[in-house]
Amino acid sequence: MAQEAKEKTSSRKSTESAGKIRTVVKRMYQQAQQAKEEKRKVAYCMVMCNYEEILEAMDIVQVYTENYAGLCAVKRQAEPYMEKARAEGYSDLLCGYAQVGIGFDALRHELGEMPPDAPDGGMPEPDMLLGCSMGCDPRWKWFQALGRYKDTPIYNIDVLMPPSDADMEAIKEHSVRYMAEELRGLIAFLEEQTGTKMDYDRLMAIVRQVEETRWWWREAYELRRAIPCPMSTQDHFVLFVPHHMMLTDSFTLDFYKGLYQELKERVDNGIGVIDDEKYRLLWGVGLPPWHTMSILDYFLNFGAVFAAETAYMVPESFEIPPDVTDPVQLIAERAFERNSALQWRGQQAGGVPPLAQAHLERIEDFSIDGVVMHITRSCRASTMGQILVRNVIREHYPKMPVMFMESDIVDLGTYSEAETKNRIDTFMEMVGAYKGSAG
Amino acid sequence: MTNVAEGALDRARWLYENRGLRAKELAAQGKQVVGYLCCYTPAEFMTALDLVPYRIQGGVGKPLKQADQHLETIMCPYVRSCFDLAMGGEYDFLSGVVIPHTCDAMHRIYDIWKYHMKPPYSHCITVPHMTHRASFEYFQKELEDFQHSLERFVGRSASEEDLVRAIGLHNRCRALLRELYELRKQEPPLISGTEITRVLVAGMTIPVQEFNDLLEDIIAEVRGRKPSSDGRHRLLVVGSEVDDVAMIRLVEDCGASVVMDDLCTGSRSFWEDVDHAKGAVSGLAARYLGGITCPCTYREGKVPERFSYLGDYVRDWSIQGALLYAIRYCDTYQLDAPEIKGYLESLGLPVLYLEDDYIMPPLGQWKTRIEAFLETIEAGKEE
Ligand code: SF4
Ligand code: SF4
Repeated sequence: MAQEAKEKTSSRKSTESAGKIRTVVKRMYQQAQQAKEEKRKVAYCMVMCNYEEILEAMDIVQVYTENYAGLCAVKRQAEPYMEKARAEGYSDLLCGYAQVGIGFDALRHELGEMPPDAPDGGMPEPDMLLGCSMGCDPRWKWFQALGRYKDTPIYNIDVLMPPSDADMEAIKEHSVRYMAEELRGLIAFLEEQTGTKMDYDRLMAIVRQVEETRWWWREAYELRRAIPCPMSTQDHFVLFVPHHMMLTDSFTLDFYKGLYQELKERVDNGIGVIDDEKYRLLWGVGLPPWHTMSILDYFLNFGAVFAAETAYMVPESFEIPPDVTDPVQLIAERAFERNSALQWRGQQAGGVPPLAQAHLERIEDFSIDGVVMHITRSCRASTMGQILVRNVIREHYPKMPVMFMESDIVDLGTYSEAETKNRIDTFMEMVGAYKGSAG
Repeated sequence: MTNVAEGALDRARWLYENRGLRAKELAAQGKQVVGYLCCYTPAEFMTALDLVPYRIQGGVGKPLKQADQHLETIMCPYVRSCFDLAMGGEYDFLSGVVIPHTCDAMHRIYDIWKYHMKPPYSHCITVPHMTHRASFEYFQKELEDFQHSLERFVGRSASEEDLVRAIGLHNRCRALLRELYELRKQEPPLISGTEITRVLVAGMTIPVQEFNDLLEDIIAEVRGRKPSSDGRHRLLVVGSEVDDVAMIRLVEDCGASVVMDDLCTGSRSFWEDVDHAKGAVSGLAARYLGGITCPCTYREGKVPERFSYLGDYVRDWSIQGALLYAIRYCDTYQLDAPEIKGYLESLGLPVLYLEDDYIMPPLGQWKTRIEAFLETIEAGKEE
């Protein structure tokens, strides 16, 4: 039964690399469970908090709760956890991931054991909760809410995103100092929790490895500019997993090197996602509809390939300055550089809002013919501003078709396959007309 | 000359019903009025530079006209409503807009507001979500940056004395509001929740000095009242933005008294003073980051400590029941709501949870629920 559902809902991948991810994810949760049994410290984490290297240097096992919620959605097993969260008094309009995560822990608390049939064996009981403010509010408030079900120590940090029009030179110094202080506060907390001291040389080595990993991922990603596109968004939405969830693992470095080789070969041999690539699309901002990823394949029927996306973006390039020897300072500077890069380029472009800037760059770099955005009902962070992005795209590309698809990251109740397909049909007609007139 | 009624409370009511008129009048006289969202914006900086701070409000009961073309429907309806009024020209008298990044909706509306409204001046203040020592140091720098940006806009600078004078005026305002809230402790309260809401909203639309004068008159007027007790239940309202009387008036029409609040537009915005002994900006950073109990700022500790201030309100204002008011699509409140509810219930209080779309509150449906809720309190009292 579950198998049937999975076959229907997952999307078609074009790379061998993507095919490896399912096993990797399974192993990730198994290893976390095993680590727990071995009494190693396990932390609940959020993606993009900039603390991955620090946790690795202190041998803390990282479990990403957002990813787990996504996994439950992919397997269509999120519903019981959402129901539990609602029974506990949480609104059904709350972030879908938070609903799943809180429901999972509330249920485990009530049962006194792992909820039966938890996908991939479930998340191990954490020894600490580490949230951050990067990207959205639920990413730290969710862990605070878990205080209802556990006495687990919690440490949240700020990872700030400068305003679009900030004078970056003016705010850089205090912003970097704050980030570094936040990381130092976290390190002190971790040292207290683990009873061990941070090894800064090891941390520096991990940072270097991580940047190498990112370099390979970025190089691989750039290959998607090729026509035909060697890999689609369907692949990207699983390929980001090692980076976001297992960033410091040496497997991840090898994985992206392997991805690069694979894509290079495909490009060299002119192998695309489909044989006859007619149109190239951008999956704009908005997290994916995990419950029904197969809908992305519907575009293939029109010869349309998702050549790029702005969800789970590959981090901006960053050169490790030779003179910085303190890895904490380095991570802080890197976070500022990355979190202000789009703002800065948007300012240079005459005041383009950063979110829109990300889209304009990809439209240009990846020869895009149309944009699809996903209004994700329960994720405000990735949905608010989509109309603004559409408006800015229209200013630069007056006839570029932009489509809004509406559903959710988790909740199936918000999704209508028939209506979505209708919208896609209309959108693809417009893409055809646009490309025809442009070509 | 503005046409105002005689009594101070009537004047507040007039200002409430004719929102923005006084500010427009000042703008017509050449004053620069700067609009801001959220109680985390330190209005002292504007006052110090002789700008008029104006807290932007939404329009309860006014269906959106244009905002839906520009804002996703899953965005905070309060923010959508504010923006809709701005699109309709309601805030054209403003010379600028200040939006703090306190929650996701505030963060996102900044770029959208700038893009569509093109205000002559705009600034986004990054407010830390954490309250570590470093967070305060950072916030002080952010506020210095805000001050410089305002100074560039007006073409002159604010001295320490200017800031201290502005802090003095705003602290005076806070003290007067607390004094007014003291008059709600009595049984029966000397001023109703509906009246208080009008006073608070009126105050957000006029210069602080004018509000202080008005508050002094209001306090004198209210002190002169000699009501006799009518045994109404005394309620606390907890939530975010309530800049319209609709909900509170409904509750009071149903037979209860709203005697205390923990709202962004209420006590939360004035409970703590600014202490400038260690410097004006450092005092402002300490007060605005540390002294506002909004769910968008992380405070360590678990439930009894986090919400103990509500326990103090319950004790000191003799509260018998609580309304928990959450605006839809507000993740920060909705992540706290079950815990706040649990905490208030642990104090033996019945709690009514109202989730609202802000723009068109379901007053008919609420009426039934509120009446049933008041009966629950009554039954509890009789037991
Ligand atoms: S609101 Fe969106 S970005 Fe934030 S935790 Fe939820 S799903 Fe992730
Ligand atoms: S009600 Fe919530 S989402 Fe809306 S502005 Fe306030 S904190 Fe933000």
